[in-house]
Parts: sequence; structure tokens; C-alpha cells
Amino acid sequence: MSKPVLSLQGIQKRFGGIYALHKVDFAIKPGEVHGLIGENGAGKSTLINIATGLFPHDAGTVHLDGHPFKPDTPRAAATQGVYVVHQEADLFPQLSIAENMLLGEGLERNALGLIQWNKTNAHAARRVAALGESFNVRQDAAGLTVARRTMAEIATAVTHKPKVLFLDEPTAALSSNEIDTLFQQIEILKKQGTAIVYVSHRLNEVLQLSDQITVMRDGATIETGPVADWSMDRLIATMVGRSIEHGAGKREVPIGGVRLDVQHAQATTKAFNDITLQVRAGEIVGLYGFVGAGRSEFAQALFGLHPMHNGTVKLDDVPINIKNPRQAVKQGMAYLPEDRLVQGVFRGHSLKHNASVSILRKLSRFGFINNQKETDLAAQVITDMQVRTDSMDQPIGTLSGGNQQKIVFGRWQATAPKVLILDEPTRGVDVGAKAEIHKLICDLAEKGTAILLISSELPEIMSMSDRVITLSEGHQTGEFIPERDGEVAIAAAAVPKQQKDSCTSTKKASRLAKLLEFREAGLFAFILLLCAIMTGLRPDSFATTENFLDILVRAAIPAILAQGAMFIICTGGIDISIGSMMGLTAALTAMATKQGLPPIPTLALGMGLGILLSTLNASLSLIARIHPIIVTLAGISIFRGSMHLVTGGHEITLMPDTFRAMANGTLMGIPKICYYVIFVTAIAHIILRYTLTGRRVLALGNSESAAQLIGLSKTRLTCFVFAFSGALVGLAAILQTGFYGKVQSNCGEGYELQAIAAAVIGGTNILGGRGSAIGTLLGAFLIALVYNGLILLEASAYWQNIFVGSLILAAVALDAFLTRMRRAAQ
Amino acid sequence: MIQLLSRHREATLFLVLVVLFTGFALTTENFLDWFGLAEQTRYLIVPGMLAIPMTFIIATAGIDLSVGSIVAMCGIVLGLLYRDAQWPIALACLASVIAGLLAGTFNGAMSSYLRIPPLVVTLATMTLYRGIATGLSRAKPINQFPDGFVHLSNGDLIATADNAFYLPFPILPLVIVSIVGWLLMRKSWVGRFTEHIGENETAAIFAAIPVAHLKCALYAVCGLVCGMGALFNVALYSTAKSNAAMGYELEAIACVVLGGTRISGGKGSIPGSLLGLLIIGILRYGLDLAGFESKFVIIVVGILLIVTVVFNEWLARQGEQQK
Repeated sequence: MSKPVLSLQGIQKRFGGIYALHKVDFAIKPGEVHGLIGENGAGKSTLINIATGLFPHDAGTVHLDGHPFKPDTPRAAATQGVYVVHQEADLFPQLSIAENMLLGEGLERNALGLIQWNKTNAHAARRVAALGESFNVRQDAAGLTVARRTMAEIATAVTHKPKVLFLDEPTAALSSNEIDTLFQQIEILKKQGTAIVYVSHRLNEVLQLSDQITVMRDGATIETGPVADWSMDRLIATMVGRSIEHGAGKREVPIGGVRLDVQHAQATTKAFNDITLQVRAGEIVGLYGFVGAGRSEFAQALFGLHPMHNGTVKLDDVPINIKNPRQAVKQGMAYLPEDRLVQGVFRGHSLKHNASVSILRKLSRFGFINNQKETDLAAQVITDMQVRTDSMDQPIGTLSGGNQQKIVFGRWQATAPKVLILDEPTRGVDVGAKAEIHKLICDLAEKGTAILLISSELPEIMSMSDRVITLSEGHQTGEFIPERDGEVAIAAAAVPKQQKDSCTSTKKASRLAKLLEFREAGLFAFILLLCAIMTGLRPDSFATTENFLDILVRAAIPAILAQGAMFIICTGGIDISIGSMMGLTAALTAMATKQGLPPIPTLALGMGLGILLSTLNASLSLIARIHPIIVTLAGISIFRGSMHLVTGGHEITLMPDTFRAMANGTLMGIPKICYYVIFVTAIAHIILRYTLTGRRVLALGNSESAAQLIGLSKTRLTCFVFAFSGALVGLAAILQTGFYGKVQSNCGEGYELQAIAAAVIGGTNILGGRGSAIGTLLGAFLIALVYNGLILLEASAYWQNIFVGSLILAAVALDAFLTRMRRAAQ
Repeated sequence: MIQLLSRHREATLFLVLVVLFTGFALTTENFLDWFGLAEQTRYLIVPGMLAIPMTFIIATAGIDLSVGSIVAMCGIVLGLLYRDAQWPIALACLASVIAGLLAGTFNGAMSSYLRIPPLVVTLATMTLYRGIATGLSRAKPINQFPDGFVHLSNGDLIATADNAFYLPFPILPLVIVSIVGWLLMRKSWVGRFTEHIGENETAAIFAAIPVAHLKCALYAVCGLVCGMGALFNVALYSTAKSNAAMGYELEAIACVVLGGTRISGGKGSIPGSLLGLLIIGILRYGLDLAGFESKFVIIVVGILLIVTVVFNEWLARQGEQQK
């Protein structure tokens, strides 16, 4: 017998006061497939996350190859050979699949450190091909189906020949062909000696693949044994267990008429299909299923949070059409959400305010809250729910999970609903609170409320429900009476059966949207069109070399600033102080020149100053952990004010010719300043497209959490983009001074908006993650062209600013529209 | 200490105010002159009015950078309708307020329904509305407003016979806007829902709060108040010009943040914002009397904003850790 490659002993993990894991012993040998099963919330994911370095454990030991193993990050775990393929991959949606696969470990680069895209793509394509898949690795990850994303992740993990590979529900989205491929890969990996932990709700798959199976329940490993010892029935029985803590269960109450009647409900997203159910007054109907069964999606659609594609809903025999939660509440529905922290509580707000929110308007007259009524209500909720607290004014975040849950429950009970949907009402609460919540549910049923109870805990479903409906992968798979049919039958119906063929074909986005994707080409065509129109309107003045050069010069300074702004926006940030920063830098460098500083050192000084000021902006927003908009908003007035202080509000004129020669005049018939623009654009293009730093900047803007998973530093990347922008601000300041030979007190004013507009028009996503240097250059040119056109058409120059504002809005709205189209197409 | 500061933000601010006031009174000549102090308040009115709806917007974790531009644009609308279209001044004033409402509604609709971040929308409309003001007026100031109108900002509310003591008239609208703001924030469900949205927007949606509608309405009302502010701004200088109210967005946001409303939302304090306004006002006046340039004051306001933002976030994090 070989020794285990990875072993966990006595692992404990608490979140707040609640144990997620309290007794986990798990070991896996090389070349073994180890099935890991358990209900939702049994602790499987927590186990994986601890073993792969997402968070540390509180007690116990982990060994890899006999040595203590405590990785700080998933990246660190991966370098030691422990990989994980998550069920829902955290991806960089606006980067190509090849990049998603390879960015963490490094893309293919040449001797200069520049990325070789052909090699990178070929490398990724090879990995995909090895899995027997054939999809275009150059495509954006956002356009990929979940199945293919999973396959891409598996492909990445497989090529590393890992020591240990965790597969978390890998087949949830796969079609039968893909599952066959996956199983073949698993066989190959086994032969290579990889230890595979296979987590799945599809028990037949687990039985088919595994050598060993471990069952978890309530944060502990219950039993481990070779596959020969297990059968489907025994797996289900062990998984479900026998719970003794649910003493009371449901009380007998008289069951009335049908209150909620749902016929053939179907989600637009296909998360659930053709669900038909009825809940009577006083009845508790349990809805049972595993991850991906579509339970919460169904409940939220009933409550008006998501649109329903098909189906009818009747409440007390009246057909209703609910479009938003407010209508749902008005009709007499209530929904206790699944994720208390995200969807339930307002952490920093008081108990009282948390309790009253759903009926606050009923407690108000002419909009004014009746304080007495609200206090009475909160007191009522606290007594009814037996919440243990000193004061209803203390923030709800200071209470235990169970008490928080009772307050949210009380909030909905106070609306006196006809139908109450409870989504995991006792998840993460202690045993005592659980029993109390169960009692409260019974009290409500007694009053004639129809209750739909969603839970992943079979014992809870068994003891509380009059009837149980099972869902599996979006389909209704059966209806049971708990006492009559028993829990094994219910669990068996909920266990996902064999692979349905998921629809892998992506609907094509509309042609319009497709066309608009080619932003640079479209922009170029638009510019040509504008030029053609202008030539037609003003043949004599527009279509001249002189005028063309004029447009180029006008575009130059904003174009340089825009490349920096583009980088900042790519990370999801913004700097609106660059205009003022440019003014201050111009004034200081001009004064230095006047003191006799030669041109080249002045240039260095200007860029240095820009980097300093800009990095200051970055550091402050990083320290306060706030969006840079606030810091740079203040920066506008600080920099502009400082500029006036140093210049005394006067212009600086008569710059020496040696200085002016840097920017003024022409070279080979073209203004010198244009060469700087070409140089800066080229640099920006190369950094963004061909360096790891550039790709990491984009990755950060795509998904901060995914960037963290592959070990990218937000601080470093943010400082980099701001420093880059600062250097360009310095350069722009010097060029502007050199070109005009003076620094006016409004130097740089309004340039921040032109720069941001140029970047956004050029296809930079204002929310981060996508940018283009060439597009930005074209954007700057377009703005200059519009200005020029307005002047030639003798339109008042005063209307110019309207165009910058409108162009930003139009570009951003276009982006929002495209994103929606893309989502609709998936 | 930390708990004291975060719990009694208003008291702390009041203390700062008293210290500043005493400091200036002791070191600067002529500071304790009623005439000077009272006149100074006239210049605080419009930023102060803007700070009230801004408190609500920042409490939802949003922002409105376009307020200064809306004030300028509405001023031009007022001026042009009065001078060129010969509308009665009262009707022109009404048009200004409606223009503000429309501008604010556009901000709100773009950010709430199209789900474009408000900072992007209002950054763009900041230029857009300023551009409309410039375009409509061709960058030329409009003046010669009737005396009655000019009195809106330059008249007195109460005055003793010898003018030894008086209160400027525009204090009245600021007080009214503040009281309405305070009532809405503390006594009505509007303020409560606003704070809930800023604290946890997802939970607000799940609690059946009409999040998108409410946010849109807040931006719309903010525009409306800007339209009202425009009246007092035009009356103050007896001039409507397209570069009026420059930097008011900074001042309004600084008041709000200084007043303890966190930029990340969840809580808003109208008294805090007013105390912030007074602190900025006293700093401005005192530094002015002490001979500092107005540009210097703007730098101070900017630095104050950054320092308080960093401080607020630090304070909040300390509070979190103690739990």
C-alpha cells in the first residue's frame, strides 16, 4: 500500500460562531479517485477551499507528501501540485479563453519579454485538443457556455500533471459526450499517479468512477470505504443520516383550500422547467433538491425578482402577474432569502429598522413613520421570535446568525403573508434557534399561511413538510408524503440522474451587435464618413493638408493624456484631475526652464512630477479603499489652486527657443508633436497587448476576485497605471508649453474629459477590463475632428463641450447595450 | 475614543466649529464683525442647498458631479427667458426649477434604469450641462435683473433699524430645504429606504424596496434643488453666466463627507452636512480675512475632503473590527 499524497486530520473551521467543519479526516493516495459526497452545506466546499489555500483552517493538520502543507493562496497550492476545478469558474470574461487558461502561470513570451500570441494560442489550443474538444481559444471567455468553461479549466489543470486534483461538480453543465471525454481524462490522470477528489451529487457517476468514497454530513466526515462497500441506497442513507435534534416537527393543523397554484412555470434562463405545484392554507410543502436544482430561482421568480418565461400563478384562485417584489408583497407573498448576509440583513442598521422595512410604508402616514407603531412592531417581532437582545437599537450585525435570521423572518411575518416562501430558513443557525424557527413556521401554518419550504437538509424537510416535491436539474421529479415514502425515496428522486444533453449551442448575437464589436474598424469607418460629409459641405476649407494637420495638432495633447486615462479606466478606476495636474506640472517645469534648466532634464522633471502626483492619488484611494473619483475630484482643486499659488495667477510666457524646439515646428512636413503621439500610442499598445503587466491590468479590471485567485497585486497594478498616466501628464504638459511657448492659467482645463471621452469612445469599458490604444487614438482624433467641423460649419464654438459630454454618454450607453445583447444571446 | 467619535459625529463637528471660530476670533482682526459674518453666509447658501440632496445620494452610495453645471444651466435658462423671451420673472424662475428637475431626472434615469454607474453619468452630464449653458448664452453674462428678484439673495430677513444686527434673506430657503431634508431623512420612509439601499442594495431589492425608482427620484429631486439654487445664485451676483457655480460639486460633496456621511453609503446626516457647510464657510471667511487668496481656500477644501474621506473609512473599519 502506498502512502497518502494528501491527508487532512482533525480539521476544524469556524465562520463567526458557527462550525463549518468540526471533525474532518480525509486522505487520498496517488492514482486514486476518491468520491466525496454530502448534502449542500455538509462542508465539501469548505474542505476543498482549505486544501487549496483559499482560507486557513482553525485546527488540525494538512500534509502533502508527508510534509505539513499550508498554502496561503490557491496559486501557492497550485505551484505545489494541488489544483481545483470549481463548479462555477471565476473567469476574466473580457479576455480570451487562451489567456484565461494561461495568465496565472504566465503566457508564452519571447526573449524581450513580449507575449507571443500565436504560441500562446497554440499552446492553449493543444491543451483543449488533448481533451478532445475543438473550440476557438481566441474567443472571449464571456461568450463561452458553462460546459466549455469547465472543459477549459479541466484542460488547464490536466496539463500540469497535478499531484492532487479536486473536481467540484465537474459534470453539472456537461453533455454526455463531454462527460465521456472527462472520464477518459480521469483514467489517464489516474495512470499518471494523480490523486483525484471527485465531488458530485450524481451518485451513479461517483460509484462508477471512484476507488474510495467518503460521505460528509454536518461538517464532519462520516464514513470512508472502498467503492465495493457502497451501494446507491447505502450512500443516500449515510448522506441523509438520522437527525435527533428535530424533536417536534410539524404540528397537525387543519389544511384549508388552495392558496398558491402554480402551473407550468418556466424560467427564461431555463433554470427551472415546467413546475406545477399547489400549496394549501396551513400546509407546508417542502421543496427538496441539490445545487443546480433551480429551487431558489423558482422561488425568486415567484417573488418577482426574476422574470418568468411561461406559466400561470394563482393566489387564492385569482390569477396574478407579478413583475417586482413590491407587487408580490402587495398580493400577499413573502420570501425569506437564502443568503442572509447578502440578501437579508442591513448589517450596520438597527434591529428595529431591519424588522420594520417590509411594512414601513404601512406604518407611515403621509410618508412619515409613526415611531410608536414602529417600536411596537419591533418589540412584537423581538418577543414573537424570542430574539435575545438588550436593545432594539443595536446594529443587527452584532447579533448571532440565528437571531439575525429571526429578525428577517419577523420582518416577513409582520406583513401577514398569504404565502410564505422560506429559502433555507435555518442555514447557519445553531440548534436552539433552529428549533425555535421551526416552531414559528408551525405557528404561521396554524394561522392559515401557505408555506413553501426550501431546504437542503433532508431531516428538516422530512419533519416539517406535509408534502415534499423534489426538483432535480430544473425538473420536477416527484411528489412524496414524508411519513409514507421515507427519506431514501425522496433523496433518490432529488439526486441528479444521468446527463441530460445541455444545450451547448450559443445563439448568435444580432448582426448589428456583432458589427459593433469591431470598435476600431467601426470608429475608423465613422471618421471616414464624417470626413466625407465635411468634404462635401466645405470642400475648400476642409479637405486641405493645412486643415488636416490642424486637426492632428488639436488631437495631439488629448491623445497623449487619453492613453494614460485608458490604462486607469482598464483597472476600473478613473482620474479626473489630470487636466489640473497638467496645469501644475506645466507651471512648475516652465519656471524651472526659466531658471535655466535644460530641456531634457526639464522633461524628466515634468514626468517625475506627474508620476509623483498621480501616484499620490492612487495611494490615497488605495489606503481609504474608495473609488479614485473622490480623491481625484479633490485633486482637481488642489492642483489647480497650487498652480495659481506658484504662478501668482500670471501667465508664464517667452519660453526659450531651445525648449520650444522639443515640441514646436515640423519634421518632414509633419508637426513634431505628432511623432510623440505615435510613440506614446505605440508604447501603450505594446504594454497593453504584449506585456504581462498589461494583461494583468486588464485581468484586474475584469474580476478583482479572480485576479486575487491567481495572485495579482491590486496595489501594485493600480500604482502602475496611475504612474504611467502621470508620466504622460508630465509629457503632455511639456509639449503643450513648448508648442504654444507659454503656460496660461487655465492650462489643461477640460482635457480630463476629452481624455476620458477619447478612451471610452475608443472602446475602453468604463467599468474596466477592456481597452485599446489604437481605439483611444482614433477617439481623440474623432473629438478633434468634430471640433474642427463645428468651427468650419461656423457653428458656435460654445457648443463644443456638449459634444464631449454626449459622446461619453453615447459610448457608455452603447457599451451597456452591447453587454445586454451579448447576455441575451447566451 | 473611536466609539465616541463615530457615535457623536455631530457633537465632534460642533466642537471643531467652536474651536475654529474661537481660533479665528482670537487671531484675526475684524472676524467678530456681524456685518462680515452675515454677508459671508450669502455665499454659503447655494452650496448648502446642494449638500442636502447630495447627502441622500451619497447615502445610497451614489454621487452627483453635475450639480454645479445644473445650477449654471438653470441660471442661463432663467436669464434667457427673462431677458430675451421677456417672460415674467416668476415664470422664468419656475422654468429654471423645471429645467433642473429634467436635468436631474436624466441623470437618475440613465444611472438607475440603464445601470450606468452614476459617477460616469454625472461626469458626462457635468460637461454636457455646462456645455448647454455655454452654448445657450454664447458664454456672455446676462444681467439687469429686477430689484425684487435680486433681493432674493441680497435682501434681509430681519434687520434692526441701525443694521447692527440682521439676517440675510436667503437663510430662509436654506433652512426650509434643510428641514425638509431632515424630515425626509429621519422621519419618513424615504430616508430609511435611502440608507438601506446604501447599506446593502441587494437586500433592499429582496426587501421589496423600489430601489431603481427611488434612486431615480433622488437624482431628480437633486436636480430640482439645483434649479432652485440657480435662482439664488443668479440673484446673488445679479448675473447669469455659464461659468457660474464652478466647483460647487466639490464643496457640496465636501460638506456631506465632512458631516460624517460615508462615501460608501448606508448612513446620511443632514445636521452633519450643515455643520460641514459651516466649517467650510468659517474656514473660507477666516482665511480670507487673514489674507490668504481664494485659491488657497479651494486647496484647503480639497485637502479637507481627502482627509475626511480617509478618516471616515478608517473609523468605519475600526468600528467593524471591534464587533
